[in-house]
Amino acid sequence: MDPEIIFDHSWQDEFISRIDSDGPWANWEVYKLAFHAEEEKRIPTFEGLMAPEHLPHVTFLPHQIETAQTVIEKMHGKAILADEVGLGKTIEAGLIIKEYMIRGLAKKILILVPASLVLQWATELNSKFYIPAVPQRKSYVWEQCDVVISSIDTAKREPHRSLILKQDYDFIIIDEAHKLKNSKTKNYEFVQSLKKKFCLLLTATPIQNRLSEIFYLVSLLKPGYLGSAEAFTKHYRDGKTKVKNEERLKALVNQVMVRNRREDTGLDWPKRVIESIEIPLSDQERDLYDSLFTLRNKLNIKGFSLITLQREACSSREAVYVTLNHMRKKFDNPAVNEIIDPLFDKINAIQSQAKANKALELIKKINDKVIIFTEYRATQLYLQWFLQQNGISSVPFRGGFKRSKKDWMRTLFQNNAQVLIATEAGGEGLNLQFCNHIINYDLPWNPMRIEQRIGRIHRLGQKNDVHIYNFATKGTIEDHILKLLYNKIHLFENVIGELDDILTRLNLRDLDKQVQTIFEESESAGEIQIKLDNISSVINSEKDLLKEEMHNEASGDS
Amino acid sequence: MKQAAIHDYLYKYFKSNNCEILENHHSQLKVKLTVDLDKLLMNRPFYWHYMEKINQQPETAVLTFKTDPKDEGDGEFIHFGSPRLHQIFQSAQQLAPFIRLFHIVPALENKSIALKPWLGLNIKVSYQCDVKKDRILSLGLQLINGTLIDQFQSLLESLPLTPKIPDYCYTLQPLIRPLSGIRRIESYLVTMLKGETHDWASDAIRRWEHDLHLLDQFYDEEEKPETYHSEKEALKSQYEPKIHVQFINGGLFYLHDSAFS
Repeated sequence: MDPEIIFDHSWQDEFISRIDSDGPWANWEVYKLAFHAEEEKRIPTFEGLMAPEHLPHVTFLPHQIETAQTVIEKMHGKAILADEVGLGKTIEAGLIIKEYMIRGLAKKILILVPASLVLQWATELNSKFYIPAVPQRKSYVWEQCDVVISSIDTAKREPHRSLILKQDYDFIIIDEAHKLKNSKTKNYEFVQSLKKKFCLLLTATPIQNRLSEIFYLVSLLKPGYLGSAEAFTKHYRDGKTKVKNEERLKALVNQVMVRNRREDTGLDWPKRVIESIEIPLSDQERDLYDSLFTLRNKLNIKGFSLITLQREACSSREAVYVTLNHMRKKFDNPAVNEIIDPLFDKINAIQSQAKANKALELIKKINDKVIIFTEYRATQLYLQWFLQQNGISSVPFRGGFKRSKKDWMRTLFQNNAQVLIATEAGGEGLNLQFCNHIINYDLPWNPMRIEQRIGRIHRLGQKNDVHIYNFATKGTIEDHILKLLYNKIHLFENVIGELDDILTRLNLRDLDKQVQTIFEESESAGEIQIKLDNISSVINSEKDLLKEEMHNEASGDS
Repeated sequence: MKQAAIHDYLYKYFKSNNCEILENHHSQLKVKLTVDLDKLLMNRPFYWHYMEKINQQPETAVLTFKTDPKDEGDGEFIHFGSPRLHQIFQSAQQLAPFIRLFHIVPALENKSIALKPWLGLNIKVSYQCDVKKDRILSLGLQLINGTLIDQFQSLLESLPLTPKIPDYCYTLQPLIRPLSGIRRIESYLVTMLKGETHDWASDAIRRWEHDLHLLDQFYDEEEKPETYHSEKEALKSQYEPKIHVQFINGGLFYLHDSAFS
């Protein structure tokens, strides 16, 4: 079939009428300039990238250029970008958008990102890529602006939804696409209903997590690529959770997904220096920690609730106070008060906190910018006060902050304060590569969370080695975790992808839950120890196996 | 486009649009816009509206550009990707769509000289599916005998030309009307484009059919949902091979036969 030839005739009437009325005619110099402009803008080949020449102030890394080219030339503009954290997915997306705009293949572009990242995307696209992207604020933006950035939560609601569906978008980009793993949600349904000529799905976590997640994400991008839901299950699912024909599935997925790993970027990444610090509790702290066990018998508080209290007590007396106080109010019963009140006395008896003192000592020794991560807000507040008492300036950071406040806190940290104290949700999209020390004040049980914390500073642009200090109070629940995750299996010295691969292969993606179950169900410290040892030896042997396989692949005798 | 070429381009652009050049050296270019160019480039309609309303003399903008990234001086740094440069590119086309020029031929012994009419069209051909490439053509058609030549623009640029008919010259009447001339060029283009091999298009169609097949498998029910149809539409706009022929600029040129010797 011959391609259709489409002529633009719109200029002809005007030309004829100028001939009839003898002008007005153009200046010859300007006429030549107009022609030469077109010659300069000409796209000489189907292949290759024009965008880098348009963006001389941006230094693209080889893997970013390669990714853009692969997406455009091999994947035809529909791809999942699943680079490891910190390799510049946004840059890759910007480069691809720019290339399509320069080539005139995309004009109307919709970018859906988490609400907290809307402005960051807008700034990046405008300043780095000269893409006039507009954050959606008013409903007329959909019609009047070509490149719009919005959150899915806004976009899926009326009146926006209908307006969006009326637009003829050339290109749809979705950040944090792993949130679309459930096909039953409104968000999924909404994205599915969009017409996707070109489409990028960006995700920080690789999609090999769950079989159904791969299926739904790929089906969003290219419906039918992995067959119908039924056929997919038949071909690749083995029993409840196992995968069969894995090689074939991997090969298929790799044709629609780009995943760059740190180790194959060929870049000289700064090293991670991990230091575990065991901190003995003071007598008063130890007394409080041990007394929490009394709740088990007296109030029948056990399992998850008890573990929570213990973990809080490891973090700070403030953290455990908040929960105990809440509990006391909830029961509102003199008999219960009698049990809880002595605990309050024990909290009050604590004069100084061993962890906080250690942190202070360390911060003074580092004498440079430090990020402290804690899981608890009460601890965050306490630390802020405590550091201030000791003449150290700090700023708080929470996921719940508005974007403008986050930016402000980041700027304050960069220019004015020595310490940033962040709670868990501080993660997503935050770049703090000007700092190279992290204190994990308390340890999350999900190793991927730690990875995200480290990813804030161990990313492109980091010039120094990254130091990570893991705090754990001695002889407590934290101690077990530290020994398991950090000392025995050296999780965080590994490459990110590797950890993920191992856990996926072992079906241990929910490692934190497994660990929790061990704590909940074990009768004694000895039992906990044995079970944790078991997990770690399984992980370690899998790790060796993986290494061996990779070695074999590399040397070609598989 | 090299930085020096950009500087040269900007200089020519402002100079030929009658802007006052306030400064022009190595990297810096400082110009005072004319009213027309200010309206075209500065995007401040309210200012113009207001000044005209209160009968004030509007002050046109002064722009300073620099083309050397190492230049520490003031001014907007212009490079090939600058939105400003592309705005200027676009405005050039807006300012100069149609032209009429005459060949300057030295007169011999006061004998009058005949200039023949030519239709010149500068054209961009874009081959487009999920990828795209362009080709620029400059075609000239003699409006008496129908001769068609390529690279017409570079021929023109080698000739001395003037907007007013020179002394001792007269123009021959065209036998082919301009509109028929345009049709002739179009049918020439169609023949040319049909004669090309379009592997890029057959490849795109193969990809299209492949994806379409997958889509049909995915929605194998009788009653197809809305998403099926929109995905199908999306595949069409993604892959369907097309050739767009766009007009850059064009005009009438009265040339002496010596231009072709």
